[in-house]
Amino acid sequence: MDAGLRHTRPMPDLDVQERRNFSASATANRGDRVFNRVITVAAFSALAVLAGIAIFLGAQTIPVLQTQGLSFLTTTAWDINTDPPTAGIWGMLYGSVVLAIISLVIAVPASLMMSIFMVFLAPKRLASILTNLIDLMAAIPSVILGLWAFYVLNPTAEVWQELLNQYLGWIPLFQNTSGNFLGTPFIAGFVLAIMMIPIVTSVTREVLSRTPPDLINASEALGCSMWTMLRFVALPYGRGGIVGGIMLGLGRALGETIAVFFVLKIIFDTNWYNIIESGGGSVATLIVSRFGEISGPYELQLLLAAGFFLFIMTLIVNVLANLIVNRTGRLQK
Amino acid sequence: MSTQTLDPSTLPALAEQRPKHPWRKKTPRFTVSVILAVVLPAVVIVFLWQTSTIPTPVLMVACYLPLQLVASALAALATRGRRGIADSIVIVSAIGATVFSLVVLLSLLGSLAVRGWKALSPSFIFQNNVYISPSTPLDYGGIGHAILGTALIVFLASLVAVPIGIATAIYITEVRGRAVPYVRFFVQSMSGVPSVVAGLFILTTLIVTGALTQSALAGGLAYAILMLPTVARTAEEVLRLVPDELRTGALALGSTRARTVFRVVLPAARTGIVTAIILGIARIIGETAPLLLAAGNSDQTILNPTGSPVASLPTYIFNNVALPYPDAVTRAWGAALALMILVAVLFTLARVLSRGRLGR
Repeated sequence: MDAGLRHTRPMPDLDVQERRNFSASATANRGDRVFNRVITVAAFSALAVLAGIAIFLGAQTIPVLQTQGLSFLTTTAWDINTDPPTAGIWGMLYGSVVLAIISLVIAVPASLMMSIFMVFLAPKRLASILTNLIDLMAAIPSVILGLWAFYVLNPTAEVWQELLNQYLGWIPLFQNTSGNFLGTPFIAGFVLAIMMIPIVTSVTREVLSRTPPDLINASEALGCSMWTMLRFVALPYGRGGIVGGIMLGLGRALGETIAVFFVLKIIFDTNWYNIIESGGGSVATLIVSRFGEISGPYELQLLLAAGFFLFIMTLIVNVLANLIVNRTGRLQK
Repeated sequence: MSTQTLDPSTLPALAEQRPKHPWRKKTPRFTVSVILAVVLPAVVIVFLWQTSTIPTPVLMVACYLPLQLVASALAALATRGRRGIADSIVIVSAIGATVFSLVVLLSLLGSLAVRGWKALSPSFIFQNNVYISPSTPLDYGGIGHAILGTALIVFLASLVAVPIGIATAIYITEVRGRAVPYVRFFVQSMSGVPSVVAGLFILTTLIVTGALTQSALAGGLAYAILMLPTVARTAEEVLRLVPDELRTGALALGSTRARTVFRVVLPAARTGIVTAIILGIARIIGETAPLLLAAGNSDQTILNPTGSPVASLPTYIFNNVALPYPDAVTRAWGAALALMILVAVLFTLARVLSRGRLGR
């Protein structure tokens, strides 16, 4: 068989005939047909889980939307003991986006620059050590990150934010009227950035290292400096992969719960732009922080509904990220 | 030269001469400028650090970084002309970003080691938390119950996620059905499910309906949702490395498809499969939110997978953070150090195994 003489190749390259030759469905054996069916069913469990989450959380969302109306999404409130109870997660949704933006502003330049260092500047040995360290950083559980942020980062960040407020307080972004610099969106966004950096760096490093050396040499021959080479060759070449990597990191940041729980003070009020003012919102953290002191089945339903919207939000970001990454070729080793 | 084309492969000497990184050409003038650009800002900053009262982090970012940028830009201007300035900025900020990430990582690991070390003792590893209040001295009580709980939950999660994950990988690389692109897409999307949502899903489907109580099994099922995509994706990468000759050879000898998979393909990729399992475990072992929702917490050593809430390392840390008792906080650090050691061991194991991986 011709197909067997070739070495492993990427799956999408199989033409229809080849796939039939390899596919176990081309068999007459009864055991194989059973095997085939079992494997196929198992393979769709990912879809089943995704659909299950959407259906079961969605089913709990409908009654919430019936009692709260659309104000569940557009207002900010959490008065469970009033009759009827009022709840709205706008501040949380908006807060999640604010945290995501802060973390992107910190993590994207840091990751890009770091991967440029690893690919184009560092000696091979150093680059491989850095790759290992970055992978280790990605493996740090978020609860440990939160612990570190609470006890080690918080005091430092407090000083930082006071100085920012002192010298740049005239910019609305850095206003702080309460004098409390703990539990701010800035610290939470910073912690999320630390979570994102290894994810984004490993993807961008992979993409940049795939820039064809011929293109780099050609740009050198044409007289490009390193910056112009990056600007006109490497970055445009890897643009899709880099954007996809950033969005994968973003999906992770939107769904992060525990690390944010330790450093962000959840308030049921919309903190529009005062990023170094104490208090902010995050859907994921809301769920865990309210679950500890839950008052009854209705509040649980509210949390499940919040979880549903969190799921939808992260699903959209992840699907977009995967579409972008897949279009630019397989990035995982 | 006019009609002939130069093929670099026939001219090895020429190909070798081609400089890989032309921007790294070194001249004495260049070397001197670089040394000056590195040493001068450092000297100024050390001087400022010794004499002024500016806090160190502020000094580094607000003084050293701009100073270093300007110095490098000047050095680049002197050696490379105006176009060198952009390069120097890229280089300085690339090194700066790397140092920033390393400082964060070292600060994290360092504080973990220093603060967690105080808590670690045989009794801390082996005892459980019964009769222990947050103010109890460190000599009593420990994380033994949490370690066992984590092990139990991870084991139950693996029981579910490993077979399904590997089956998914087999579907993609061996069965190669029509839905391969879709299955891959669903697995990728599933890897983005937030951990708290996985917990909520188990909570609403199994716990609220009364099928299970908060228990190790419920926690394990929530973990399985997070573990499955990692196992499936890694196993897929590994199975892909098994050469097709092995498959066609087995089929030519009269083996059935199923037998080929179980007797030839999976054994050929066994270290890779183990790596996939280890990476899956490393992915989930520190997740806290699903366990808070689905597994609850306990002070006792629980080995019964159903029926009662169970402790785990992440929830133990969670419950001891931010308490006003220094000993409780030290316990949290100790548990965090133990968890990090577990993760690091798994991580190293996966590295060592994948080094001998097929086709590498």
